[in-house]
Amino acid sequence: MVPPQYYLLLSAALFCIGLFGILTRRNALLFLMSVELMLNAANINLVAFSNVWGNVTGQTFGLFMMALAAAEVAIGIGIILVLYRNFDDVDVTKATTMRW
Amino acid sequence: MTTKPELNLGSHLVPGLAAVALFVVMAATILSASFPDPQGFAGDASIVASIGYAMFNLEFGDIAGESFLAALIIIAITLDVALDGSIHLARREGDQGGSSLLADGGRELKQSLFEEDDD
Amino acid sequence: MVGIFDFAPAIVLLPFVSFLVALAVGDRLPKGGALAGIAATAGSLLLAAATFLTVAGGRTYDATIYTWAEGIEAVDLTFGILIDPLSAMMLLIVTLIAFLVHVFSLGYMNDEGEVGLPRYYAGLGLFTASMLGFVVADNLLMAFMFFELVGLCSYLLIGFWFREPGPPSAAKKAFLVTRFGDYFFLVGVVAVFATFGTAAFSGSESFPVLAEAALHGEATVNTFGFAPQTWFTIVGLLVLGGVVGKSAQFPLHTWLPDAMEGPTPVSALIHAATMVAAGVYLVARMYGFYALSPDALAIIALIGGFTALFAATMGVVKREIKQVLAYSTISQYGYMMLALGGGGYVAATFHLMTHAFFKALLFLGAGSVIIAMHHNEDMWDMGGLKEKMPVTYYAFLSGSLALAGIFPFSGFWSKDEVLYETLIHGLGGSPVLLAAYAMGLLAVFFTGFYTFRMVFLTFHGEPRTQTASDPHSVRWNVKGPLAVLGVLAATTGLVNMVPVEKLLGIGGIDFLHQWLDMSTESLNAHHYGELIPYSSAYIGGEATTVAIGAGVSLGLALAGAGLAHLLYNVPEPVEHTDRLGGIKTLLYNNYYQDEYQVWLANGVTRPVARVANKFDQGVVDGVVNGVSSVSLFSGSRVRRIQTGVVSNYAVLLTLGLTALLLAFGLLGGWFV
Repeated sequence: MVPPQYYLLLSAALFCIGLFGILTRRNALLFLMSVELMLNAANINLVAFSNVWGNVTGQTFGLFMMALAAAEVAIGIGIILVLYRNFDDVDVTKATTMRW
Repeated sequence: MTTKPELNLGSHLVPGLAAVALFVVMAATILSASFPDPQGFAGDASIVASIGYAMFNLEFGDIAGESFLAALIIIAITLDVALDGSIHLARREGDQGGSSLLADGGRELKQSLFEEDDD
Repeated sequence: MVGIFDFAPAIVLLPFVSFLVALAVGDRLPKGGALAGIAATAGSLLLAAATFLTVAGGRTYDATIYTWAEGIEAVDLTFGILIDPLSAMMLLIVTLIAFLVHVFSLGYMNDEGEVGLPRYYAGLGLFTASMLGFVVADNLLMAFMFFELVGLCSYLLIGFWFREPGPPSAAKKAFLVTRFGDYFFLVGVVAVFATFGTAAFSGSESFPVLAEAALHGEATVNTFGFAPQTWFTIVGLLVLGGVVGKSAQFPLHTWLPDAMEGPTPVSALIHAATMVAAGVYLVARMYGFYALSPDALAIIALIGGFTALFAATMGVVKREIKQVLAYSTISQYGYMMLALGGGGYVAATFHLMTHAFFKALLFLGAGSVIIAMHHNEDMWDMGGLKEKMPVTYYAFLSGSLALAGIFPFSGFWSKDEVLYETLIHGLGGSPVLLAAYAMGLLAVFFTGFYTFRMVFLTFHGEPRTQTASDPHSVRWNVKGPLAVLGVLAATTGLVNMVPVEKLLGIGGIDFLHQWLDMSTESLNAHHYGELIPYSSAYIGGEATTVAIGAGVSLGLALAGAGLAHLLYNVPEPVEHTDRLGGIKTLLYNNYYQDEYQVWLANGVTRPVARVANKFDQGVVDGVVNGVSSVSLFSGSRVRRIQTGVVSNYAVLLTLGLTALLLAFGLLGGWFV
């Protein structure tokens, strides 16, 4: 059996790659992709621990997570559309009207 | 001549160091933690069937799981709301529903194209 | 049961109503509201007389009228009324004199065509009401509040002629100087509350009773780490600050001569019955507390004796008739303080009473003279008024004989008892009292001198000016009060003929002693007699001591009067002040009291205030402003974090999570 640490390391790495994308990219669409990566890092965790405990709860939750990811993308795309409409760009650093 | 993708290095990558730092900390934590040995699943057990039963609170699965009927319904509603929400966001202000997508068998289009013609 | 005591609040409220009436509709009433004031004080006088008679039947009254702040696990603040022989007597005196002053004002103000009369009568009404409220107060806080009201009214009335330069300044001075004393009084009131949890004057839970029990170890009070004896002395001296200010004792007496700028009837009211009397009355009211502290008593006696002598010497050289009377007031209140400090509670009350009558008389007489002289107060412009205004002269003479302490006028009896009580307690082993007694005795001589210098200069000899030879006539409303008070000044001494009792062995004619003994257990003169820390001793025997004391003081008074007779009772008197040499300047300048107080204000208080101001502006405000500007500045810097760029927020979130994980890990030992 593969020890859980490996799964967790994989998950952490995936999460941090997604985070890296969010921190360095400016394109809102790439943001959405990075968020998908991070969500899937969480999924890996769920599935890994499902294996560790020997029941299907984690895996079921993984399914729900995918559904949630779909919902998130739907909303995210809508937001990006509005963003583009208001700022004529999908560059997240342009949308700075909600600051001081 | 084609250009190949180049690695875009620069100061905009600096915030990414935070992500790297987070990974280092998480890795250190994970590696220093101890976990029980994984139990795994029995070879002949049907995992997908068990998930399906668990989603509807049925106790027929080979593998134990919790009841997810409520979660399933909530997720279903959430997806519906998200869809509606995204459509609401995507719609241009001043757009009237149905102006771009009509299911009238093309009657309106035909009317606008051939206005002078009778039905 | 509806008794006369149920009407006790009305004694206070009637003059207050007259104040409201005079204020609201005074300009539409005939005589500018005078009649309302006269009616109100007459009503108060009748009620006070009825109360007096009821108290004479041996009943006292102590009731809380209104609780205006109910303490939750703390003290209740109340208004209450305490009627015992002392306050009943004082009520009678105050209402009588207020009534006569109102009548006299008809002659002094209305007939002279003054303007602003509603304001004047409103002031008089409020003044009377606050003094009556002070007299019936049953706790120290209520007393303090009415004490302050009295001070306010004196300000309003002294500054009545506010368009002239003198009166407003004098009013401000009176207000500020007494306020200085009252500041200590206020601290004292708070100290009494903090120590005893009550400020009631009477009853088994009153603070004098508690203090006595605490000294005997039967009760515990919060004395803030001091020995009870020391602490009670401190509290007593704090309250005494207010007394010294109001009763114009050294060193806070300087406001009183200046207060002569006010209308003369107001001076009569201030000096005889209200403001100045308030201080002495307060000490008498809480005498059970002062009697517990020998140090406080000794200080009171010293202040009193010194003030009596000090003021009397200044009165010797004054040119204005009212100035002489002002200094005599200070001096006479010095005697009362001397009596209180010397353990002569009854003597002090006695002198308070007789002085109220003869000083009111003298002021009203002076007012009459001033009317006659067309408001010229300089005695050197008078002379020979005896034939022109006989009623004023004989009344004034009666008051002067009383003031000088000539047998058998009232002042003789009371002053003699003051000195006698001080003497026997001083002989009983208290050298401080003997020193105070010596000063008081010496003051008798000066009193006799300046009193008769005033009488001779004003009424005897030849008229020295045109006005004096043809004085303005005065009407019944001036003469009436003078006559009443003249009789009273001559006879009130008979209520307490202790020397006669002692010398001739006739028992039972010390009516005032018996009167003040009728009060409730903790408030009667007998109880105070047991409390005071003095023992008595006599020269030869009791009768001999009485005879010697009375003889010496009467002799000194006669000597003073005789000297005045020699110097000034001649057809053409001349000033003899030059014979005094350098002392003359000193006396004319009132021992430079005003100058040194001004210096104190300018040279000490002002720099201190300036430094305090600097400290306040620089340090206190600086800290406050600094804190605000630091937060303002840091806020303007910190808000830069809010860039509005999502990536930056994400960075911060990530860094925060990393830091949290690190912190938890390091603290929880995850990385081992």
